[in-house]
Amino acid sequence: MADWLIPAFLATLLWGIVGVLQKLGSNRLNASSLLVWVTAGYVVALPSFCWGSQLSSLGARSLLLGIVAGTVNGLGTWFLFAAFEHGAKASVAVPLTALYPLLTVALAYLFLAERLESLEWIGVFLALCAGAMLSYESSPG
Amino acid sequence: MIFPRWFWFALLSLVCWGVWGLLVKIGTGGLTPQALQILFVAGMIPPVLAAWWQNGFAVQKDARGILYGVLNGLLASFGMLAFYAAMARGKASIIGPLTALFPLFTVLGAVWFLKEKLNRVQACGIVLALAAALIFAR
Repeated sequence: MADWLIPAFLATLLWGIVGVLQKLGSNRLNASSLLVWVTAGYVVALPSFCWGSQLSSLGARSLLLGIVAGTVNGLGTWFLFAAFEHGAKASVAVPLTALYPLLTVALAYLFLAERLESLEWIGVFLALCAGAMLSYESSPG
Repeated sequence: MIFPRWFWFALLSLVCWGVWGLLVKIGTGGLTPQALQILFVAGMIPPVLAAWWQNGFAVQKDARGILYGVLNGLLASFGMLAFYAAMARGKASIIGPLTALFPLFTVLGAVWFLKEKLNRVQACGIVLALAAALIFAR
């Protein structure tokens, strides 16, 4: 078994639970309030990550890379909210944005020279279709 | 063909998250998962503040809503840590699509706990997700 499989599964499971909490939260709070409280949760978790982070020994490039990763992710959320404000239906916009790994695959191919076997390509294709289909909600909520 | 404005925003969102996947993969080459998460939060605060400012710094304070929101952030943080650990060991081209299957658990959780009904598209999505997971795990 590949050594990345368990952490990848754990991330998928935790984010899946997060999705349920998001549904529950969005029934009680508007989008921007929920975003604020979710960020508060991120901040609350921070002290537990300080130990062993080796943050003080990092160079400027690494620091910038990590910060830009956070900014880009936050902007992604902001743009999704903007799409909703401009009349996007969740049943269309969410499955569309669920295709984001397609770009990661393309960028990894271009910049990191990652190459996949044919069966892995099939897996990627199925996963992308599945991600979009699972995000499709035919009725609100 | 003219696309509506929301489409471009959704596309920008897709681009941001797609680029984020690449940045994480590059970042795991020189950063510990903990450092990456601390910097991630530092980086995401400006856009969150901007979104909050756009809404006039209004924030609703429903106690249960706050609980769900904070728990959401906490669990997402640990999910991120696991994601970074996976990215450090495997290919971004596989970890990205595989972890993007997280709606599988959301859908199952919503059916189980929130008594939501599964639609046909989601049911087909579950089958495809399992097939993809089997291929990756082989």
